[in-house]
Amino acid sequence: MINYDYHKPAELADVFGLLEQHGAKAELIAGGTDVMVTIKQSNRSPEALISLRNLSHLSYIQKNGDYHIGALTTHRMLEQSELAQRELTALYQGASQVGSIQVRNVATIGGNICNAAPSADTAAPLLIMNAKLVLKSNRGEREVAIQDFFVGPSETVKEWDEILTEIIIPKPQGNFGSAYLKHSRRKAMNLPIIGVAVGLSVSKDSIITDARIALTVAAPTPIRVPLAEEFLEGKTLSDDLLKEAGALASSPECCSPRDSLRCEGWYREDMVRILIPRVAKEAVENVKK
Amino acid sequence: MNKITVNFNLNGEPVTADIPVTWTLLRTLRENFELTGAKEGCGVGECGACTVLIDGESVNACLYPIPEIEGKSVLTIEGVAHADGTLDPIQQAFVENNGVQCGYCTSGMIMSAKALLEQNPQPSESDIRSAISGNICRCTGYVQIVESIDMATKTQNVKNPE
Amino acid sequence: MTKHRYVGKSYPRTHETEKVTGKAIYIDDLKLPGMLYGKILYSSYANAKIKRIDTSQAKALPGVRAVLTGEDIPDVRVGFIKDQTVLKKDRVRQFRDEVAAVAAISPDIAQAALDLIEVEYEELPGLFDPFEALKKEAPLVHEVDARGRPMRSNILPLPWQFSAGDIEKARQESAFTVKDRVATTWVNQCCMGPSGCVAEFDTNNNLTLYSQTNVVFGAKQRVADYFAKIGLGGKKIRVRNLVVGGSFGTKLDTDIYEFICIQLALKTRRPVKILFTREEEFKALPPRQPAVFDIEQGCDASGKLTFRHVEAVLDNGAYTSWGATTPSVMMMPISSLYRVPNVFFKATCVYTNNIYAQAMRGYGNPQATFAVETAMDRLAEAAGIDPAEFRYINRNQSNEKTPMNLKITTCGLEECIQAVKAKISWDQKHGRQNGRGVGMASLIHVAGGARVYKSDGHGMRIKVDDEGNVDVISGGTDQGQGSFTVLAQIIAEALGFRPEDISFNIGDTALALWDAGTHASRHTFIAGNAALKACQKVRRQILEMAAKQMPKLIQMAIKRQSRKNPDFQPPDIDFGLFSDPDNLDIQERKVFLKSDPDNPYCSMDASQVLRQGLHVGTGESQTIMAEVFYDPPTEMLDRQFKGNYSMTYAFGTTGVEVEVDKQTGEVTILNMVAAHDVGKAINPTLIKGQIYGAVYTGTGYGLTEEIKLEKGKVMNPNFRDYKILTAKDRIPIEAVIVEKGDADGPYGAKGIGEPGLVPTAPAIANAIYDAIGVRITELPITPEKVLDAIKTKEGDAWCQ
Repeated sequence: MINYDYHKPAELADVFGLLEQHGAKAELIAGGTDVMVTIKQSNRSPEALISLRNLSHLSYIQKNGDYHIGALTTHRMLEQSELAQRELTALYQGASQVGSIQVRNVATIGGNICNAAPSADTAAPLLIMNAKLVLKSNRGEREVAIQDFFVGPSETVKEWDEILTEIIIPKPQGNFGSAYLKHSRRKAMNLPIIGVAVGLSVSKDSIITDARIALTVAAPTPIRVPLAEEFLEGKTLSDDLLKEAGALASSPECCSPRDSLRCEGWYREDMVRILIPRVAKEAVENVKK
Repeated sequence: MNKITVNFNLNGEPVTADIPVTWTLLRTLRENFELTGAKEGCGVGECGACTVLIDGESVNACLYPIPEIEGKSVLTIEGVAHADGTLDPIQQAFVENNGVQCGYCTSGMIMSAKALLEQNPQPSESDIRSAISGNICRCTGYVQIVESIDMATKTQNVKNPE
Repeated sequence: MTKHRYVGKSYPRTHETEKVTGKAIYIDDLKLPGMLYGKILYSSYANAKIKRIDTSQAKALPGVRAVLTGEDIPDVRVGFIKDQTVLKKDRVRQFRDEVAAVAAISPDIAQAALDLIEVEYEELPGLFDPFEALKKEAPLVHEVDARGRPMRSNILPLPWQFSAGDIEKARQESAFTVKDRVATTWVNQCCMGPSGCVAEFDTNNNLTLYSQTNVVFGAKQRVADYFAKIGLGGKKIRVRNLVVGGSFGTKLDTDIYEFICIQLALKTRRPVKILFTREEEFKALPPRQPAVFDIEQGCDASGKLTFRHVEAVLDNGAYTSWGATTPSVMMMPISSLYRVPNVFFKATCVYTNNIYAQAMRGYGNPQATFAVETAMDRLAEAAGIDPAEFRYINRNQSNEKTPMNLKITTCGLEECIQAVKAKISWDQKHGRQNGRGVGMASLIHVAGGARVYKSDGHGMRIKVDDEGNVDVISGGTDQGQGSFTVLAQIIAEALGFRPEDISFNIGDTALALWDAGTHASRHTFIAGNAALKACQKVRRQILEMAAKQMPKLIQMAIKRQSRKNPDFQPPDIDFGLFSDPDNLDIQERKVFLKSDPDNPYCSMDASQVLRQGLHVGTGESQTIMAEVFYDPPTEMLDRQFKGNYSMTYAFGTTGVEVEVDKQTGEVTILNMVAAHDVGKAINPTLIKGQIYGAVYTGTGYGLTEEIKLEKGKVMNPNFRDYKILTAKDRIPIEAVIVEKGDADGPYGAKGIGEPGLVPTAPAIANAIYDAIGVRITELPITPEKVLDAIKTKEGDAWCQ
């Protein structure tokens, strides 16, 4: 039967104390939309749930040169943030499509990242934004680049006693625009078949000065596509160029979409090829804005 | 099974209850408070039949751990009608426009609509559809639900012209 | 055209305000004193021997009141062909086989007890493809049939074969023929309200079953049959309906969980509730019947259909529910959708170790219409005729008899086709193949009852009390369609009362007269006709009572006025007129003299008459009540499956405009028009609600929904991976109501519950073909299937 203690620490220090006390037998919970489902469906629970919900000081979206987003920021906050919509468009788009409004009202970006599903909607946007994750523990603090954070399906480098407290997004150089596409079978309440995020900086004469492409559900973890990015950088933007980048990104050198219950690998591969140019064009539109 | 004492505001009234720690808000409402309007359509946050408002925001009660309700303000379908029993414009509109068929999704739909109209008294059709996109209905095809919510905005605005 | 007061108006659902205040009691909300919670342990394999079940630990868990296995209850077979027992002993044949059941004081303890039950299986190879199961060398899913006789194959002994005319001759005389294989798969009904029931025995072992069934008397009969075999023969059974959270076919049969619930209640002597989780809804509830059709169709040079030859293979799963009877409905579109003189249809139901199917909205018609309407489009193309024109040429018309001997009385198909053509801009949009296209499909469905049982009747009781309240007692049920709002309008219209005067007591076998069930889109027609006849009697009773009582009451009123006011001039009233009830009428619950309707002294509220008639003081008191059993003069299907089993038939056409993204395979619906020949719209808003809901389900059937079965296991038993459309999946839909009246329907009405769904998927498939020149013959038409077909057609050019 399911049974656990539920703790609601008010300070980080209390969180660390509880983690120390319970060790790996405790689990962190924020919005609960992943943890509560897992408990129900597995019919098993940890010894204790340590709720991060009351660390309200970790819920913010700020800009001071770089962008700082508290890990306890809900997806709904991001969805309703004009700053995010304008300047962190791909992240805004990803966050806005997580689950449903009911889910987004409680689910946090920290939870989305740390749950580390290969399909996480905030993962590809954060990857193209070169986000840095601040992890704190009793032992201190460290910053991990998001490219180094995911190591396997639902596996990250975060230690059992660490808390993700903040996501830092460095301000990109030049005119940078981003976009995220969640390819799904219907228009709401989905896990994506494939997720594509593209960020581009384009000069006035249409030279791509910075290209960033990230994919979810195309590999065991969310990934960047450096080969396709290098291919684009320095070249003049054109439909044909983007098509070539899409074709390159869909090759086995760049991604490894697999067959799963939700979709067959060949289709995912085709969608990488087809959708990257489309998302890139949208990113370019967002540069202009 | 550990119990926890929670104090919160339920449909406008302060309440206290001793609830098993592992219970969700949905189970607490249905079994402890006997408010069965919120339904368990799936139990995992994928259908919206359990939608209630917590501090004005729509939430799937089936995933909401009861210890977190401390100090919050909860509105369920049972608290939507006025104290004298007259229906809220949204409820009235659902009755008049066939927004309710089997009724199972209705509590959740009305709560999502309520959250929407509190924040956005003149939503577009697209706004309405987004607001209820986390509420599944099999009977109506959503058309008359959207029409009902739209009708409610007109009634509300007639009553409170601003 | 008679002007009606209530019929034809969009009367609101004021009888159902409990649903918007959270007060409606569904099965999940029902709590009885001492109630226990039942849960079921399902098989871990698709096909296996049960070597050992150990329930000792489960029984010992505090709070558990009963644990049952197949050893604990009599080996009684249930179901349409009695091919399964309630709890499976010795052998499991599908993943959802019920192996044990627990009743406990809380659902948590019941679940914990399930986890403590140990079952040892010996796995056997399973059969998951009906075509494999048909092969001679295939292992047998059932070694013996219900009567213990050895089975020689996996084919069910069901006689689904229909033949009319001379196919071979027609084939030779055809100028054009086409042949296709089309396939439909399992989809779930997705009722928002999960399945469940509460069973309670009284001290004398009489049962009350709180059920969500559509068919209260059918359920009662099945339970009575079961009782007879478990030593409870003769015990009373009361089936009672609460508010139901949707049915869409799930509640036509008496499912295994209901028998289990009854056994748990019997064992524990306490009320027991079984309530499905959503996962059980997907895994343990029979879905829609899948079918593979080989369809051949021909026409002459002018485009007139000459023949239709259809063979269908139905994956019957491991046991049998109503899914195996869908061929009896499939015959209807196959033999009678459009005029086709020569028809052959054969359906083979095959046992496999997959899940078995039951009814779902449309009951075989959506599957068969997908086959027929695919063939129609293909044949139109072969003959070089525009598909809309082709359908028009072959349209059914009023006063025809079909090869199945269905008597088409009223038929609005012509109007439906034309309305759709115009509103979807068919002529401008068809035939461009530029990524956008239009398609259409039509339907025929029973709309005036369906004689699937020997009686297709409905017993309606109407009583009026001495305050003018009308109480209607009906054995019909409501799954959300608003059947009793419609009935309130019919009764108010016929009686001369107001809808708000009318209350309903429905779905209770202890109170109601027999009804065949709320199925086959029959309720408005059959119950409506029963109500009309009952209203005639009630009206007569009231008017006769008024004839007797009104003169006295009027004179009393005049006396009172005179006493109050000495100058009062008594009106000149011919009291003789009142002696003939035909001189009186009722409107808005007021009884009045027809010849002097505006005279306040010649009219009064009916309640005054009714009170006076009851509280007479002389022993001549009268109450008002009438009951009518209406069983329409239709036929059962004979051994050749011919017979006019409905009083009238509904027709309709759906047209769709789609845009196909040729690089992702995604299909967007730009416009949809659903025109339905409903006879008369008693409540236009409610009819539209039925159409919209059915269209959305039909679109899901066409594009996004499928139960993913892998070696018999449901892999997507949740709303995350089973893609039912959300509010954001907007379909621009226009519902067109064609009203030609039907002489046999109440106020001219025909049924509408299922028709809305039937032609949706083929209309979409046909539109996709028009848009991009690829035809998908397997539902659902997913982006993968579209893209795969495009890639096959265009080679490497697809991504340039």
